[in-house]
Amino acid sequence: MLQILIQGLLLSGLYALIAMGFMLIFSIGRVLNLAYGAYLMVGGYTYFWVSQSLGMPKLAGVVVAAAVGVLMGVLKYSLIVRTLRRDHVAVEIATLMLAVVAQAGIVLVFGDSSKVLLPIVPGVLNVAGASVTCNILVAMIISWAILLGLYVCVRQTHTGRAMQAVSMDAKGAAISGIDPDRINLITWGISGALGAIGGVFFASYTQLSPSMWVAPLIISIAVVIVGGIGSIIGTLVVAHIVGFLEVIVVAELAPELRGVFTMLLIICVLASRPQGLFGREELH
Amino acid sequence: MELRWFHVVLWGGLIAGMFLLPQVVSNGTLRTLIFANYLAVFAISWDVLSGRTGYVSFGHPFLIGIGAYTTAILTKRFDVPVEVSIPLAVLFTMVAGLLVLLPALRIRGSYFALVTLAFMELLYQLVQVIRPDLTGGTRGMSGIQTLTRGAANGYYLSTALMLCIALSMWLLMKTRLGTALAAVGMNEESVRGSGLSTTRLKAFAFLTSAFIAGLGGAFYVHYLGSLAPRAMFDINFLFTIIVSALLGGTSTIVGPMIGAFFMTCLLEYLRPVLPGAERYFVYGAIALILYMYQPKGLVKLVQLTSKA
Amino acid sequence: MIKTALLSGTCFALMASVAGAGIKVGFIGSMSSDTGLSTLRGAEIAIEELNADGGVMGEQITLVSADTGQDPTEGVRAYEYLAETEEVDFIISGSIDDVSLGWLPRMQEYRIPTLDTWTSYIGIIDMVVEDPESMTPYFMNIASDEALATLYINFGADVLKKKMGWDSVVILAEDTAFGEAITGLVTEALAPVAGIEVKEIITYDVATVDFAPIFGRAQDTEADFIYQVSSVNSQVVSSQYVKLQVPMAMTGVNVSALGMEYWEDTGGAGGGISTLSPVPSIGFKLDPVSQEFVDAYQAKYDSRPLLPHFNGFNAYHGLKQAMAAAEEAGGFDNVEAWAEAMQRQDLVLDLDGQLWLRYAFWGDDEVEPVTMRTYPHNARFDLSEPFDDAQPSMVVVQWYEDGTAAVVYPDKYATGEFTLPSWVSK
Repeated sequence: MLQILIQGLLLSGLYALIAMGFMLIFSIGRVLNLAYGAYLMVGGYTYFWVSQSLGMPKLAGVVVAAAVGVLMGVLKYSLIVRTLRRDHVAVEIATLMLAVVAQAGIVLVFGDSSKVLLPIVPGVLNVAGASVTCNILVAMIISWAILLGLYVCVRQTHTGRAMQAVSMDAKGAAISGIDPDRINLITWGISGALGAIGGVFFASYTQLSPSMWVAPLIISIAVVIVGGIGSIIGTLVVAHIVGFLEVIVVAELAPELRGVFTMLLIICVLASRPQGLFGREELH
Repeated sequence: MELRWFHVVLWGGLIAGMFLLPQVVSNGTLRTLIFANYLAVFAISWDVLSGRTGYVSFGHPFLIGIGAYTTAILTKRFDVPVEVSIPLAVLFTMVAGLLVLLPALRIRGSYFALVTLAFMELLYQLVQVIRPDLTGGTRGMSGIQTLTRGAANGYYLSTALMLCIALSMWLLMKTRLGTALAAVGMNEESVRGSGLSTTRLKAFAFLTSAFIAGLGGAFYVHYLGSLAPRAMFDINFLFTIIVSALLGGTSTIVGPMIGAFFMTCLLEYLRPVLPGAERYFVYGAIALILYMYQPKGLVKLVQLTSKA
Repeated sequence: MIKTALLSGTCFALMASVAGAGIKVGFIGSMSSDTGLSTLRGAEIAIEELNADGGVMGEQITLVSADTGQDPTEGVRAYEYLAETEEVDFIISGSIDDVSLGWLPRMQEYRIPTLDTWTSYIGIIDMVVEDPESMTPYFMNIASDEALATLYINFGADVLKKKMGWDSVVILAEDTAFGEAITGLVTEALAPVAGIEVKEIITYDVATVDFAPIFGRAQDTEADFIYQVSSVNSQVVSSQYVKLQVPMAMTGVNVSALGMEYWEDTGGAGGGISTLSPVPSIGFKLDPVSQEFVDAYQAKYDSRPLLPHFNGFNAYHGLKQAMAAAEEAGGFDNVEAWAEAMQRQDLVLDLDGQLWLRYAFWGDDEVEPVTMRTYPHNARFDLSEPFDDAQPSMVVVQWYEDGTAAVVYPDKYATGEFTLPSWVSK
């Protein structure tokens, strides 16, 4: 029982970290960024290249990965999203195309055999009979820190409140002197960085492979859809629902049905309560 | 419905041209065109639902997969003749699609896309776990009965199927029903305001789409002779279908056809130049750039250039 | 506009087929994976050597390749491309299971002599048994997965039971057809033959992110060791096993650990893992002929895989055998004659005066004495000591925590000892 609690908390922390960047874009731009999984993939591979192939310090790897993430987010916003602005479907399709291109690019550069990242923070603890790697413990702590930071930012800082305003009503925000374009750019950049960092931790937990972008994308979709757009707290809560659901299914029921329950959860929530469990439309 | 003389000429020319093609091109090219034909069928199916009504489906492989799996299982495991199994597969696709996806039709926009995506993933996982003795599990099935042998026969069959579907959809879209469907895509509220049942219209579009997807999927699997879940419920497969429809131009029947031929030939003719992984990269990048340049598709591009 | 494109495409195809006089070999497989590249390069080296010796039947051999990207549908198109556009005489394949199953109906239609070097799926050999006529052109020169699992039972009896003193096992299998097949064979035979009790079979989803609950479940069974069956995302299981320092020994099948790049790819987080491997494997002592092939390989290529996987050897020897069969049968056109000649090919490679590797095929009605079934068109293997008829169907490979690897079973081929990871106390 205690084991499940610990493992559930750890996995949920990781999921919350992954889903956060996806949620930000969804709430500000109302855009499903289907290339979000590609941020994670590129972040993970960048970290692998910097810290494992070049042998630079791990922190440098994380920083470079985050920088590449910011760059990807900003470029994607300026080159794709801004060009196709009025058409959400077009943006979604374009991001899907971008993800497929990114996958082909990774195969081109790194080949399609999968790679394993060394733990960013090595070591194992034994808590109440459950083995806990320091790596995922740190991922959970970072995840909580980022979530809290984001929450405070959105509520307290000027830029955060501007983000809130844009997510409520972009036109209204523009009238009151906020430049929605700049806010969007900032948000896409932050989302890219969050995705890349999430990707480093996700990959250090699983593996790097050219098809790895699909799984975290689906986790993000599940968390954000079930949680409701724009809810930081909702994202946190639902990441725990999804994480615990998974751990319980794996530990107590049938491990081979792990993914099936997550899919059922998405379908049920969307069919019965399309706005999500914690849905308001704006960032809060 | 307005049928003009040049419509008849254009369609006649297309049909005659496509059926005469095996006289002039090699078998290798015909094999490529067969895939293009099936992709065109899937793209038309996607377009009937998503292109017209604006309900973007990310789960079309779900429908195609049901059709393909039904007929494959019936013929391979229960020795049902194809004359029976294909209609059953189409029927089953429509029923399953209706039961599962119709409730989702009340959700608009990105959410609908996500539900359909979730269904595709769900079916992908279930097919592998439940009754692998029937579905073949992760490895899928091989040695499924094929309807034709040889490139030319396969080409004639797939071309006939594709042209039948294209022509009947084109005629359907010329009717008032087709106009109403397009109106749902433009403004659902005002269609409802004008006293039409949007639910019925959406259900009709959905059933038509499922019918074509099931039919296409069934014939496709009897052409391939094998079926692998990894290739069927694949984001890349979904990508090709949607991009074909969009790149050609949605809400036109010709658009998805042109898009499908363009995408298939592009990938195939890159092969001698770029044999390795570069091929997929260039292929995806060309599709992305073309799409960014003209999201309305090649048909629109041709219209614009001919006007200019 | 489309038609012009099509016509120019046709011209291109026609030109290609005119230029390709001589013997044309097609490669089908993934050109960005280590396994696919092993087959491709093995074939390239064999063709170079044959051409240097004057070619086959006085003609030079050329190679064209068709990438599958490991996608079954792309595999069908690649096969069609080789058959109809390139009009190849012979196809060598480094495809994985479902890709091979995908293009098999095409092979039956075109009847092009085809040699599979990677997939070991017994279901394909079953197709040869059931429908020998249409499968005539097909050969697989790797021991089938059933033979691999059968010999693995002896490893259980000789090493796990006798030497380590283990009595019970918990099986950790992925929910793939491969996992199911191997698990079935192991569970059916492990208890009666090796006397090891199967406590529980845990089947997991291949996309599982976190294996901690699964390892927790395995530990709760209090079995002596874990038997893993993993072919998809195998590195996740083994690296999490190492990272979590699960206090139980783990052996079994881990497909990712079959190549030399395993250490680099896992950043060293893969020590202590052992896996069964087709022959020849990493850590495998090579006979002079195969060693010469490896030297030629390493002189020619400096990118990964630095050492060809087992299928690279199969492609190298198998391609030469296919050409020899063609010479006997007067070419590839008469498929029946070629297949008959191919079946008679027999290459025995000695090391220190004893049989080390043998590239030969089973006869159509020849019954293998241990499994009591036939393996037509499948590579010949030996399931019992002293392995004097052919090489064993598999060896067990151990990765040590210092990054070296060795064969630990069977004894005749062993170059190292079966060991436990340092954190497992037993």
